[in-house]
Amino acid sequence: MIEVENLTKRYGPKTAVDGLSFTVRPGVVTGFLGPNGAGKSTTLRLLVGLDAPTSGGTKVNGKPYRRHRAPLREIGVLLEARAVHPGRSARDHLLAVGATHGIGAKRVDEVLDVVGLTEVARRRVGKFSLGMGQRLGIGVALLGDPRAVVLDEPVNGLDPDGIKWIRHLLRDLAAEGRTVFVSSHLMSEMALTADHLVVVGRGKLVADVPVADLIASTRRGVRVRTPRTSDLVAVLQGDGVEITSLGGGVVDVIGLSTEDIGTRALVAGIPLFELTPQRASLEEAYTELTRDAVEYRGTSERVAA
Amino acid sequence: MSATTIDRPVAEKTPLTFGGVVRGEWVKLRSVRSSGLTVLGAALMMLVTGLVFASTVGSDSDGADGVTDPTGITLSGVMFAQLVTGVLGVLVVSNEYATGMIRSTLTAVPSRLPVLLGKVAVVVGTLFPTMLAVSFTVFLAGQAVMGGAKLPTAAVGDPGVLAALVGSAATMTGVAVIGVALGALLRSTAGAISTLVVLVFLLPGLGGLLLPASWRDDALKYLPSSASEAFTSVVPAPGLLGPSAGAAVFAAWVVVPLLLAAVLLRRRDA
Repeated sequence: MIEVENLTKRYGPKTAVDGLSFTVRPGVVTGFLGPNGAGKSTTLRLLVGLDAPTSGGTKVNGKPYRRHRAPLREIGVLLEARAVHPGRSARDHLLAVGATHGIGAKRVDEVLDVVGLTEVARRRVGKFSLGMGQRLGIGVALLGDPRAVVLDEPVNGLDPDGIKWIRHLLRDLAAEGRTVFVSSHLMSEMALTADHLVVVGRGKLVADVPVADLIASTRRGVRVRTPRTSDLVAVLQGDGVEITSLGGGVVDVIGLSTEDIGTRALVAGIPLFELTPQRASLEEAYTELTRDAVEYRGTSERVAA
Repeated sequence: MSATTIDRPVAEKTPLTFGGVVRGEWVKLRSVRSSGLTVLGAALMMLVTGLVFASTVGSDSDGADGVTDPTGITLSGVMFAQLVTGVLGVLVVSNEYATGMIRSTLTAVPSRLPVLLGKVAVVVGTLFPTMLAVSFTVFLAGQAVMGGAKLPTAAVGDPGVLAALVGSAATMTGVAVIGVALGALLRSTAGAISTLVVLVFLLPGLGGLLLPASWRDDALKYLPSSASEAFTSVVPAPGLLGPSAGAAVFAAWVVVPLLLAAVLLRRRDA
């Protein structure tokens, strides 16, 4: 269980996290989603005490992280920024971190096997690929066999096999009853792994919802193609109906079912060439949620997710 | 490589302990190449400087009369070796900031202070015995060289010699601890090493040139290098503090930066 309460962090004049409150429950994979610069990494740094909050606080399994007798057994963390000396071997890195908690070579070798680094365990980390480095970071997170696992952008640099492996790992960890909290700026990734989403933008909470609810809440429309758009619009207009003309005889209709539209067109004698229900993807739902919360906008109006 | 193997519980759920932190710091120290190289460098600096001085000391016009302090001649490498041990101290901390390792370290030990103390413990535990052995070695070898040249020599049992040997090892170790503190305060290898060089190497000379003569000597004797000279010299140079005062001043040079580093380590964001 991870609790974030009224968390605020300012770096000079810049507010990175702004009154954030949410709870991450055990047993499910919770995605931590937001555009780059939304305050995800800062929140995670505050969670494990690397930075001190300006106000508010966080708890891991009921206590502030620092107050646990065995912090690494409560929560294992992969932070986004590199946190390894490149001259040290993967095995020595794990041994050094583990030693603080009396975790020895046996567990270190076990973890190396889990993350698939056994063969390169004695090689210097500086020679590792991005993906191998990521696996090592995940190894550190698993080292203490923790009750909660927090991974910041874990799929970064992983190959497709690695990404699949991460998804399974996260699901297994949650199935074992652990708290699993994974950040990403990619909705598509979260759609495949997460059961619940905490969405942030500009340091503020945007949504705290089950993935299924988010999909259900997205507005659905119907795409209609006809040579007589103005006639069709006249027939369909009414309360709660929103019609957008896309040009070229295509309109998007929100608020009416395909049956409604087809029947009304038939009655008015308007030919329809296309009548397609549009289901907003999770990606679009996310873009809509964070539209006002994107920190760095490109020059084109469309925002890259 | 199956994800399901991770739920196998660790045999005993051992907590975070200070002993564990020290072991972790030891693993870190021994597992990067620069540590061994700096210790070796400091040892060589002591041996080479001591032996070169010992074999050239009688060759000038003064001959045997020039040798007033045979112990000091063989230990003259301390002056340079302390810079190398200081660099080791700096690197033990600044490397972590340079590579990001500090985030792994402080996440594992969120109370932070044990990390600083653990680093001091492994630096002292590594350097003091090593540099003590090196001091004895260069002393004995140097006396043998000077004895062979029919120059005056000293023995370990002579007054002040043992103190000089132990004090030299303590000086080199102490400067390393100053390095740890500077590394933690400045978080930058270049900044901390520069500060260290200025403090132990340049200030005595610069101060001699720049300070007004009226209080120059009074100020200079409180610098770390002069303070350590006061308790490592068998035949002290004039104008130094007494041995115990020197030791106290040197200890303050070690402890005060370390306390400052401890306070800031607790306060600052990592």
